[in-house]
Amino acid sequence: MRGLRATLLACWTIALAAQAAAQVRSTIIGPGVKRYPIAISPLKQATGSASGDQFTRTLGRDLELSGLFRIIPSDTYIENAQTSGVTAESIDFNNWSVVGALALVKGSAERQGDDLSIEARLFDVAQQRQLAGRRFRGHAADEARMANRFADEIIQYFTGERGPFDSQIAFLSTRGGRFKDAYVMDANGEDVRRVTNENTLNLSPSWTADGRGLVLTSYRLGNPDLYSVSLPRGGWTKLSSLRGLNLGGRWSPDGRRLAVTVEYDGNPEIALLNADGSLLRRLTDHWGVDVSPSWSPDSQQLAFCSDRSGSPQIYVMGADGSGVHRVSTAGNYNTSPSWAPKGDRIAYASRIGGRFQIFTVKTDGSDARQVTNNPGSNEDPSWSPDGRYLAFSSTRGGAAKLYITDAGGTNQAELTEGKGSDTSPAWSGWLE
Amino acid sequence: MNRWWVGGVVAVTFIALAAAGCSSKKKGSDLEGGQGAGAGLSDESLSGGSLALAKSGQLGAGDTGPLHDIHFDYDSFELDETARQTLQENAQWLKDHPSVRVEVEGHCDDRGTVEYNLALGAKRAAAAKNYLVALGISRDRITTISYGEELPLCQEETEECWSRNRRDHFVPAGS
Repeated sequence: MRGLRATLLACWTIALAAQAAAQVRSTIIGPGVKRYPIAISPLKQATGSASGDQFTRTLGRDLELSGLFRIIPSDTYIENAQTSGVTAESIDFNNWSVVGALALVKGSAERQGDDLSIEARLFDVAQQRQLAGRRFRGHAADEARMANRFADEIIQYFTGERGPFDSQIAFLSTRGGRFKDAYVMDANGEDVRRVTNENTLNLSPSWTADGRGLVLTSYRLGNPDLYSVSLPRGGWTKLSSLRGLNLGGRWSPDGRRLAVTVEYDGNPEIALLNADGSLLRRLTDHWGVDVSPSWSPDSQQLAFCSDRSGSPQIYVMGADGSGVHRVSTAGNYNTSPSWAPKGDRIAYASRIGGRFQIFTVKTDGSDARQVTNNPGSNEDPSWSPDGRYLAFSSTRGGAAKLYITDAGGTNQAELTEGKGSDTSPAWSGWLE
Repeated sequence: MNRWWVGGVVAVTFIALAAAGCSSKKKGSDLEGGQGAGAGLSDESLSGGSLALAKSGQLGAGDTGPLHDIHFDYDSFELDETARQTLQENAQWLKDHPSVRVEVEGHCDDRGTVEYNLALGAKRAAAAKNYLVALGISRDRITTISYGEELPLCQEETEECWSRNRRDHFVPAGS
């Protein structure tokens, strides 16, 4: 697919300055600290063809969504991007300090036919030196992806950890019809692509272990069966069609098994499937509802939702079903657990006053923190690959739309817009 | 809420219902209009299930067949007295029509989360199935399916609407 032409998207580090000491920089910006002012200059056009506008636009959107940066508005820029230099030696940094920038992105774009080459550099304005630089070469259609990668690199430079934007979010939307269909978009909400067009119920999308397709439950043959759907709009492969629910197929991070909810005599239980979809083993055995398994990053444990205590609560168990213990302690309706890729916390939705709010809690049940707090209903949290952000659905503005927030809840932004409702986000791993 | 499918076959049920003292349900149950006893069940195949109705934009009328919806409390799959009475009526109808199979659909209101409600719907459908089996209906004649909160009859944020959506719906098939 368009966003995955990884082999063509070769990158070279064109300057190795300041690659070390990233840990030190993590103190420069972070949650609770004022957004860092950054200017993103238009790219210098190496040839007459128009390119690079999407790069700077997407880069700005990513950095804005990160909650870490404040983008200096481009209409305040003094410099002519086409006539000024793009290296530390040739830039007049006074032109950038006067507009309030502490960091600066400059670069150049060259397009020949369908081939696009973008050189992008990050500068420290006060110190007048280059902090990082990349040259991207690929298909013209990969321009946004180049920006997402550079955004992740800028975030890495300033925080010591790679940013989350070279990834995708799968979700369900009614924008195209009566029923929910699966869609995929870039993590920043751009480039929405429809995946299914089935005129039936499609539910609970997640990513295949290799990131090249989705797993979802569909009623296309009547029963809620589990399918693998290849991207971008590829074929359907049936994974599991046991009588009754075949729900929430979640690949283990090691790619060996799928955790699902299936019915035993009408009783929803968590079970494991082999990679080919055949039943491996049942994990839970309880009269109540057991549903929504979510893997720990080491594939050794599962969080899930059960009403065995009399109300839906979040539990954790070993991947063999042993050692079940309750994680959510407050609230009488806690569902939709999502285990953070860093392994330290579990996000979930908790019903308060008739609406859902997103919470996170440590995996031992301590230190529960509320992430959202607004009049809408906030559901289905899904972690970014770096474990710093959550995507979720919210009805705060009317119909359900998808939002992004940092895990602390400080910076929340809408990712989707338009008609219909957007729900059930599933954040992919980083693209290859 | 319930539009009664009226036919001769219902008379037996009606008598049992009247005996049970469900006076509110007597209304509209007299033998006028609708299909007669000979009308059969050709219109009541599985294609008349809630998903098929939703596809054609006709879901919302609710309970129109010979078998009647039962309703649940919020986040509950327990059968209350009213639900058990309705299931007894449904069981009687199934005994009177031994060649008919039935699919029990479990539904929820939209105040839960999607996956939990799919599981809850499965529990609701299973609760009705197990009760029908206890009343003497062969297990082989009954299948269940959960639609969670995906096929609501109404969209209003009122207790009346939520209550209507928290239902088991019964779809007869075969003749």
